[in-house]
Amino acid sequence: MTRLLYRVKSRMAIFAHRKARGMLDGEYGSVFRGRSLDFDDLRAYVPGDEVRDLDWKATARHGSPLIKRYVAVRRQTVLLITDTGRNMAAEAAGGETKKDIAVMALGVMGYLAHRHGDIVGLVCGDADRTTSVPAKSGEAHLERLLRHVHASATPDSAASRLEDQLEHVARTIKGRFLLFVVADEIAATPPLARLLRRLRAQHEILWLTVRDAQLTAEARWYSVHDASPLLGHLAGAPGVAAAYARAELVRDAGRKDMLRRAGITEGSVSESQDVIAGLFALLERHRRAG
Amino acid sequence: MSWWLVPLGAATAGVAAWAALRPGRRNNARRRPAAHVERLTQLPEYQAALRRYRRWLAVATIACGTLLASTLLAAARPVGIDTINPEQHNRDIVLCLDASGSMSSADAEVVDVFARLAADFKGERIGLTIFDSTAIQVFPLTDDYEYARDQLTLARDAFNGKPGTSGFLDGTWSGRGSSLIGDGLASCVTSFPPGREQRSRSVVLATDNFVSGDPIMTLQEAAGLAKERAVRVYALHPGDLDYGPDAHQPGAQLRAAAELSGGAYHALDNPEAVPGIVQAVQATEATALGGAPRAVATEVPDLPLALALLSGLVLAIASWRLRP
Repeated sequence: MTRLLYRVKSRMAIFAHRKARGMLDGEYGSVFRGRSLDFDDLRAYVPGDEVRDLDWKATARHGSPLIKRYVAVRRQTVLLITDTGRNMAAEAAGGETKKDIAVMALGVMGYLAHRHGDIVGLVCGDADRTTSVPAKSGEAHLERLLRHVHASATPDSAASRLEDQLEHVARTIKGRFLLFVVADEIAATPPLARLLRRLRAQHEILWLTVRDAQLTAEARWYSVHDASPLLGHLAGAPGVAAAYARAELVRDAGRKDMLRRAGITEGSVSESQDVIAGLFALLERHRRAG
Repeated sequence: MSWWLVPLGAATAGVAAWAALRPGRRNNARRRPAAHVERLTQLPEYQAALRRYRRWLAVATIACGTLLASTLLAAARPVGIDTINPEQHNRDIVLCLDASGSMSSADAEVVDVFARLAADFKGERIGLTIFDSTAIQVFPLTDDYEYARDQLTLARDAFNGKPGTSGFLDGTWSGRGSSLIGDGLASCVTSFPPGREQRSRSVVLATDNFVSGDPIMTLQEAAGLAKERAVRVYALHPGDLDYGPDAHQPGAQLRAAAELSGGAYHALDNPEAVPGIVQAVQATEATALGGAPRAVATEVPDLPLALALLSGLVLAIASWRLRP
């Protein structure tokens, strides 16, 4: 098995090459690095850096934009939260397994955090149990986290229940963390909304939604829940497809509304190719919002 | 009947159904996993579509089962058991009618009755011979009842003197004399096919037995011929005007001739009595034949085949509705 982190890194390298080197790093840094007053050094500006961090005098002297770097006040803890129930073993809108997209997203985020010297922990699980891996630094640790997610989410896993994992976080985590949640199209419910508001009061939360497959598409599906086949020709009937699309719009609006009210920035991805762009957009939105 | 086919076919169908419905291990091998399927399946629109689909599926299943069952039944060649009196439908009847003017109304009644009886004939053969001085075979023994009925209707019209039908009786006067009863009866008796078939033979002879002329055969001789050929003669005599129990009176002669051949004699008081007497003759005939009732198996595939056709149609419609 290829190292999962290796895949993440190569994906990030491609992205960095395509866009601008360090862009994601810049975004991450501007969003999460606490600014201390202890000046550290200057470095070259990369797109995504906070404009107010520019050292204008140094820039004028140097001829190219320079950014002031400060010594970090504290090491941040990034807590990756994801669902490893059997729902994640199903297909995403892009045709991949949702789990693979989740691993990619968690890997990118974890690697960004690692590059910035932050420590990364994991809370994942299903309806039966919640696993918590304490935050540590290091690529090996990150690789272990990704492997754990990759191995846990199978069609034979228990049902998905992200509320349990979020509750676990609310119950056991002390201190202010950065929560990075990767979930599928979760439905908004009042208890979940309460729980998210409760978590948001303590933590910074980023939410990445992995888009679920379109069940009305021309394909033969079976439910990961009970392995029962879906009658595709019924699902594809115009009336049913229209109703499904309407219900999906309502559901998406409900989730967006719930997250917005809780003060959580949400992004969404359909395939692992989109992960980095989606994450970038998510960080960007979060920076603007916060 | 091949009833053994039914359990065999049912067992085969059962095995096929079991093989088709057995929960397969690789059922979902070519399907793709999907989460939150209930978000689709709980939609009222999907539920309605599913109900429709299930309804048609049930119709198709029932039609398929009916089709299988009925074709299986048809393949087993079902038979209906009928008890029949074999001789009942195994008769040859020759109507032997005296065409002299005095007999017209009685003849008309006789042919009318037989025209109606012919509608119910199954296997009987009927023939018509009319005679006066010469005997004319109008039609020989036949089981073409439609033709017989036409001819009998024509005969009735002729006997009733309907205008334009007198030609029907042409040729019956070409001999010398008139009402040559013995010759007429002999002609009728000889109109049965030669040889001894396994069919009962009877002659319905309607005559007043007023002979005027010189017949080749007397009534007595003709009756003997009938007896010899196992032909029963049923005599109908309109206007039995016998005077005393003299054996030479026409009525008594006729009775003697009929009874000699094993038949019966009926005097007609008026032509309207003919249907009753013909029935009596039929009844006598039936008892005289006395064939033991026999069970006859006839194939009756109509019902299963009609059912199979119907369920095939229903199946076609249902599968058209069920097509993905």
